[in-house]
Amino acid sequence: MGTLVNAENIRGVYYTGAKDVVAVNDVSIKIEEGEVLGLAGESGSGKTTLGSIISLIARPPLHVEHGTLEIDGQVQELGGHAKIPRTWRGAVVSMLPQGAMNSVSPTKRIRHLIYDVMRSHDSKISKGEALDRARERITALGLPTRVLDAYPHQLSGGMKQRTVTIISTLLNPRLLVADEPTSALDVTSQKILIEMLLEMLKERIMSGVIFVTHDLPVLRTAANRIAVMYQGKIVELGPTEIVVERPEHPYTQALMSSVLAPEPAYANTRIEGMSSFDRSLFDAPAVIHK
Amino acid sequence: MALAKYIGRKVAWTLVVFIVALLLNFLLPRLIPGNPVDAIVGQMARGGGSGGEQLEQIHQHYMQEFGLDKPLWQQFFIYIGNIFQGNLGTSFANYPASVGSLISQALPWSIAIQLPAILIGWIVGNLLGAVAAYKGGWLDRGAFIGSLFLSSVPPFALAIILLFVVGVQLGILPIGGAYSFGLTPEFSLAFFGDAITYFWLPFWSLVLVFIGGQAVGMRSMAIYELGSDYVNYNRGLGVKEGHTVRYIFRNAMLPQFTGLALSIAAIITGGLVTELVFSYPGLGTLLFNAIGQNDYPVISAITLLITIAVLIANLAADILTGFIDPRIRAVQSGER
Amino acid sequence: MSLRGLSPRFWVSVALVGFVLFVGLIGPLIVSTSPDATVGGLYDKPRCCGPLLLGADNEGQSVMANLVYGTRTSLIIGLVAGLIGTAIGLVVGLVAGYRGGWVDDVLSALVNVGLAIPTLVIVILVSVSLPQRNLYTLAFVIGFTAWFWVARAVRAQSSSIRTREHIDVAKLSGAGFWSILRRDVLPYLLSYVVMACILQISGAILFESTLSMLGLGASNTTSLGTMLYWAIQWGSIRTGAWWAFVPPTLMLTLIVFSLLLLQSSLNEVFNPRLRRGRAARKKAKDEGEELEEVSVEGEDAGPVGSGGMLETPVSAGHGEAR
Repeated sequence: MGTLVNAENIRGVYYTGAKDVVAVNDVSIKIEEGEVLGLAGESGSGKTTLGSIISLIARPPLHVEHGTLEIDGQVQELGGHAKIPRTWRGAVVSMLPQGAMNSVSPTKRIRHLIYDVMRSHDSKISKGEALDRARERITALGLPTRVLDAYPHQLSGGMKQRTVTIISTLLNPRLLVADEPTSALDVTSQKILIEMLLEMLKERIMSGVIFVTHDLPVLRTAANRIAVMYQGKIVELGPTEIVVERPEHPYTQALMSSVLAPEPAYANTRIEGMSSFDRSLFDAPAVIHK
Repeated sequence: MALAKYIGRKVAWTLVVFIVALLLNFLLPRLIPGNPVDAIVGQMARGGGSGGEQLEQIHQHYMQEFGLDKPLWQQFFIYIGNIFQGNLGTSFANYPASVGSLISQALPWSIAIQLPAILIGWIVGNLLGAVAAYKGGWLDRGAFIGSLFLSSVPPFALAIILLFVVGVQLGILPIGGAYSFGLTPEFSLAFFGDAITYFWLPFWSLVLVFIGGQAVGMRSMAIYELGSDYVNYNRGLGVKEGHTVRYIFRNAMLPQFTGLALSIAAIITGGLVTELVFSYPGLGTLLFNAIGQNDYPVISAITLLITIAVLIANLAADILTGFIDPRIRAVQSGER
Repeated sequence: MSLRGLSPRFWVSVALVGFVLFVGLIGPLIVSTSPDATVGGLYDKPRCCGPLLLGADNEGQSVMANLVYGTRTSLIIGLVAGLIGTAIGLVVGLVAGYRGGWVDDVLSALVNVGLAIPTLVIVILVSVSLPQRNLYTLAFVIGFTAWFWVARAVRAQSSSIRTREHIDVAKLSGAGFWSILRRDVLPYLLSYVVMACILQISGAILFESTLSMLGLGASNTTSLGTMLYWAIQWGSIRTGAWWAFVPPTLMLTLIVFSLLLLQSSLNEVFNPRLRRGRAARKKAKDEGEELEEVSVEGEDAGPVGSGGMLETPVSAGHGEAR
């Protein structure tokens, strides 16, 4: 199992009118082949920003000051005024957006989007071919083919999220960056979506997934490794069981102990809260588990 | 199927409103205290020329003609019956000219300026707004302020300014009427060439304001759409910009359609006063004269006509929206 | 809402509105000539620096005096009609949206009919039937016919507020219908109401001037619209007597423009989603939790149309609420 993606020295800053906000503070991370890497943290930790930088969609007022992305031996410069080839998006690295609700234009059917995506990467493809491929993929992953003809508002939340997941992976990207894919779903739909992602990974439709979420319990079932972010830096990185059950960084420890899970083990424990910025947590050195 | 149901509902609704409008058109003028016929005959008596008995006859004739001797509800049915036969009554002030004939003389002139103004204004305005939003920068800022100004200027104000600057001071275009004195309207090239010079100023007054309005609206909608999630997602999937642009403008246009009907109402009513400024012989001038002479049948007929035009515009816009936006017909037929 | 967040557009519009108010309210105190006093002959040219500063009109009266008093009249009509319209629309919308049920159905049907029939038509029909027309009857007529779009927009918002939790809390603590409307629903609508009111006022002023130009204006006072009426009737445009029609035209345009500008800049303040760019929207999403998603762009607020006869006095154009 080699390294799929090597992201190095990424620094992302929001240039707002008033003050510049450093959202991602010199972060480096590797994603291995075939793994789901959970990217966890509270709101404002920089995880979504890091996700959007890696999925190559960063744009003003978010500026990537420096950083590189290496995939399959090809190095792509991310910083400054680097030109990112349009065709990388969707085909090499793809995004699965948060809130699939609005990610598809409400006035067009799903199949329009699918055709547009495919012909943007292969200008010679015909509509029939594009839809055939989509249909194969859809049925292989257990969805009814009627979604192709549907308008977004005609699909339920869970169905929409799964449809969008398929659209995001139509071009068999190497890496899929999923931004809070389960946050808007009920528990059953969450389970179905995660199973679908794992299935797709097994089928090598994509070769790696970054799963960005603030929902820690979900990562226990979905992720192989977890990276915990705090104030723009990764403070702990390691296999799921270790990070969840035996975290070593004080922030991770505080985070895990503030999770409410409706399980018997928690029946008699006290849940502690956390303040939003704790200097001591920020200064503690990052913990990387092997 | 959903579409058919949707259209059906809209048509039914339009009819309901039409009936209410008919009622209003009928009732309101008749709430005036006093009998209009008395006033007219009184005027005729003062003007001299008719003796006592003749006046009696004329009075009776008018009363019968206008049905004012019958109870109100009967008058209403006569009124409706007449409308559907195309008989809009006889003018009080220009007796015995029929209202229908007066209107049919004035209507073409009004349509001549307003229809092109609406069509061209809508197309140009929306294009301008869309391009400004997309390009951003100085073009956007300039276009926005300019359009904002144009859209908030009352059409008659623009008309007055144009008339003064272009017509009087610069003397380029004629300042009043629809065609040169001495000519009679006919379908000839010569007449057309002459009439067109009279056409420009009123036309420009209307179209500029309309462009301004549409541009501002479209620009806002386009800006809103440019920041939306699906634009981001499309970009994230590497979809070519050209494809995405089509989605954006389609969505941004929707509210413009809904608004089109109301915009049309505004243009029509604004156009009335613009005609006054230019002494253009359309419905506006006709209405103005009728008001001055208390010519109720004419007033009533014109207001009815305006209402019908607006209702039809509304209906057309609703149907168009139903075609373009699948959510509308879904909501209406309870699909969600 | 910080003062820093107010754009230059806002301050410009405030300055313009301030100027207009100054002319209309303080002006009559400064200009000592009465608008009805004869100070010259037919269309006397302007001359510095007394009552003939802007020349004389068709009755030999001072244009300057008429302008100033006319502005005041137009402002008063606008204010009265605007407030009436906003108030009626607000109440109807609140009750319909919050109550729901058959009350909502009836009121909504009424509002939709009112919206579909062009307002000018109704106002013409009513005005023509009035035995006499003065300042206040005109204002009332305009106010009573222009509220429909406000009602529709308010209804949409109050019916969505109805489903919020704090309403349940209020109900559980025994608050009455009107009390809940007043204290739990209305505050969320306040920013919208302010903007709607501004639009109503500008619409009413335009409405009045259109009516006056058609000859249906107030018969005993000067307004900007009646000035234009006489200017057209007496052919001042043709004879080049610009002082008779340019001042009222400019003043009218200034009033309407400044009010619309004010409304549009307030719109951006109250509704951060309209600001350009993604970070602005991101920022808006964060702010949005406290800020009410209130916008003057209910599909009900209507489109931008001509500045003239506004069915739904328009904001510098926006479409649907999202």
